[in-house]
Amino acid sequence: MPEGVLNGVKVLDLSEDIAGSFCARMLGDYGADVLKVEPPRGATLRRMGPFHHDDPHPEKSLFFLALNLNKKGATLNLETSTGRALFKELVPHIDVIVESYRPGYLGGLGLSHPDLAELNPSLVMTSITPFGQDGPYSQYQGEEIVNYAMGMIMSISGVQGREPLKHGGFQAQYEGGLNAAAATAISLFDQFNTGQGQHIDVSVTEVVASTMMATQTMYPFMGGTQPRRRAAGGEFTHPMPCADGWIIVQTGGGASWEDIANFFESEEMLEPRFADAGQRPQHGEELDGLILDSIKDKNKWDLFHKAAEARMLFGVVQTPTELAECPQLESREFYREVDHPVIGRIKVPAVLFNFGLCPYQLTGPAPTLGQHNREIYVDGLGYSLADFSRLRQINAI
Amino acid sequence: MAQLPLEGIRVLDSTYIFALPYAGGLLTDFGAEVIKVEGPSHHDPTRGAGLAGSFPDNELGDDWWNRSSTYNLMHRGKRSLTLDLTDQRGRDVFMDLVRISDVVMENFTPRVMRRWEMDYPNLRKIKPDIIMVSNTGYGHSQGPYANYPAQATTQEGTHGHCWVTGYPGGAPSKAGASFVDFLSTWTTLFAIGSALRYRNKTGKGQWVDIGMYQAGVMFLSEFIMDGIANGRDGGRIGNRHPYRAPQGCYPALGEDQWVTLSVGNDEQWQAMCREMGREDLARDPRFSDLLGRRRNHDDLDEIISAWTSGLDRYDVMHRLQAVGVASGPVLTGRDIHFDPHYQSRGFLERVTYPEERNIGVRPFISRPYKFSRTPLKIRRPAPTFGQDNGHVLNDLLAIDGSDYDQLVQDAIVASVPIRGEAVDRLPQEQLVELGLLAAYDPDYRQRLSID
Repeated sequence: MPEGVLNGVKVLDLSEDIAGSFCARMLGDYGADVLKVEPPRGATLRRMGPFHHDDPHPEKSLFFLALNLNKKGATLNLETSTGRALFKELVPHIDVIVESYRPGYLGGLGLSHPDLAELNPSLVMTSITPFGQDGPYSQYQGEEIVNYAMGMIMSISGVQGREPLKHGGFQAQYEGGLNAAAATAISLFDQFNTGQGQHIDVSVTEVVASTMMATQTMYPFMGGTQPRRRAAGGEFTHPMPCADGWIIVQTGGGASWEDIANFFESEEMLEPRFADAGQRPQHGEELDGLILDSIKDKNKWDLFHKAAEARMLFGVVQTPTELAECPQLESREFYREVDHPVIGRIKVPAVLFNFGLCPYQLTGPAPTLGQHNREIYVDGLGYSLADFSRLRQINAI
Repeated sequence: MAQLPLEGIRVLDSTYIFALPYAGGLLTDFGAEVIKVEGPSHHDPTRGAGLAGSFPDNELGDDWWNRSSTYNLMHRGKRSLTLDLTDQRGRDVFMDLVRISDVVMENFTPRVMRRWEMDYPNLRKIKPDIIMVSNTGYGHSQGPYANYPAQATTQEGTHGHCWVTGYPGGAPSKAGASFVDFLSTWTTLFAIGSALRYRNKTGKGQWVDIGMYQAGVMFLSEFIMDGIANGRDGGRIGNRHPYRAPQGCYPALGEDQWVTLSVGNDEQWQAMCREMGREDLARDPRFSDLLGRRRNHDDLDEIISAWTSGLDRYDVMHRLQAVGVASGPVLTGRDIHFDPHYQSRGFLERVTYPEERNIGVRPFISRPYKFSRTPLKIRRPAPTFGQDNGHVLNDLLAIDGSDYDQLVQDAIVASVPIRGEAVDRLPQEQLVELGLLAAYDPDYRQRLSID
């Protein structure tokens, strides 16, 4: 079996949410040993759907499954003094803690980064929160829509004259997790070289804001505020309906304007009011009309393949079930199958990218609640079976 | 002061537009020496044209190619080398640099690096432990779309985001802001950090193959799992949440001012009713539980809008947050410069340009993570085109004298782009009329104290 690039790195994942789970999964996907440590009630994400066959069972959250591949699982009750003592026994053996509790929560339990660094000076602790560890909103409640709104992106999403629009799903949380994984990987390089750890403070709102390069700089460079798109005539800024779905087209790529006009079989598009990039914005609605008329009876995949031949920048709007069957993703071995003890065998989105020498490896599905308790506490920390049973009785694990 | 995590690491950054150039800029914050390599006649499109963002005070200036806002944000801290890779002599220089570098980043289409004999097998021959990152639209595989042209805006459809983004009952919508580019940016940072550690541990370098499409699809995992397990095909719910209710974006006092909020349970709903002064709603059986609030969400939206539209958006946030309800205003690119939380965190960093650049002082996005032991900052302004040609060729490679002059004479290196022009800028007032700007503050420099 080839080595994972992060082989030997030991991670405790205390996170209960999307962002932290995804961060720790990235580390596990590329070779780290990740132990998910949940409170005895189970991580919050276990109660979030979608659920397998719509059964809201804590072992059947597909969201939890997808974001916790390649991890082992233990329970630990940090609200009890015994639980905290056990936690401190684990800390000297690990390299990274990933956590997403409200700022100050772990500190209040005597488990801040400085507290734990006394037990393990090389410890990297990555904290992922809606607004970061400090600042006036640090104790405020975050939610995807709030991160999105305060991260600027909603101000340009949707159309003028209507309310700002959040993107589908939980993009900010995934982005937060990916950023946290990136920052953690770089601090692991530093840890390897110096033997020292540090605390990394990731703000999900700032992650969203970090994507807004043109939007942010427009103000200090020219005093302007970027708007949402125009409702119509936006010149290629909206998906457009064809016979069996939606397509997106953009100028650029290897295609000239003539190539694009040819593709849409429109001689009118060659007229200067469309062909000239400077005049085009004033004739957006008319241009939309020409394109919509050209594609209304055409098939989206025919258009997609033909556009590639013309070297055009072109997309089709795929649905989740189409994505699950995508031949390009298949060629990348993007999906893998796991055997889950409760759900059974199921296909999961797995491979974000690949290393040449240290390829992605799937080592297991998400853990069931407390699945590896005995391995951690008895085999690992050396507690007797009688003590192990007592730890459960007193609700410490 | 502790040494920065990537001090001593040299990165050759032969990448264009957003995804990897931005990664290169972020690497300089960590202390890496990043050399941006551009063709004299193939300059980065973010310097001019449609991807430039803005120009200082909306003026192209004499050297427009050094002045665009997105170029300056992404290339902070780097060195700039111009090098014509279509010429064998340019490629020879590049390979000499590979010999003394740790990481190479590129985003050419797969066949280009092979044709130039600059793909990973060739790089590895002269620098066995080199780490190479390649970013493409669909990845370097034999899959059916491997050679299809791709960029973030059209991929938003293909990787599924448009399908789940849009007003309820309406058409699919684009995310905008080159969303998937950034997923590659951060994936690159993750890959480089991990691969450098592995190299220091084992002595082995490797190639990293990133396809943006895959990253975009990964971020829809729960929708795809729902499709696989339950045959469901997602859809558009606008600003609502699959479980929480109410959730939405509501009008606040003032022109185009908005505030978001999200209620997660019955207690929060009760608290919100008290805050709205609507004890009657707290007792209304239509809204007493989550299912009821979801079923009657349209009615709730009307009630909430009536309350928020008379209030400042920040008042709504502070009042709801005080009683435990998630809420926050929709902030624009203007707003974050004046928001107390962003200010307190120091998220925007001021970069001071040398007098001759004629750019002055401008605040830029820094980075969304803080490191406790090795504090990070933007280390210097983005370089001018070819600013470091002399340093890189003379000092690093000992190419000087007549050899250097010959490269300049034959335009293998250059200090001015050989081709291309910037798109003329319209005055701000006219951009507002066209709907291309939402607002314009003529006194923005005073407001930001950058005069």
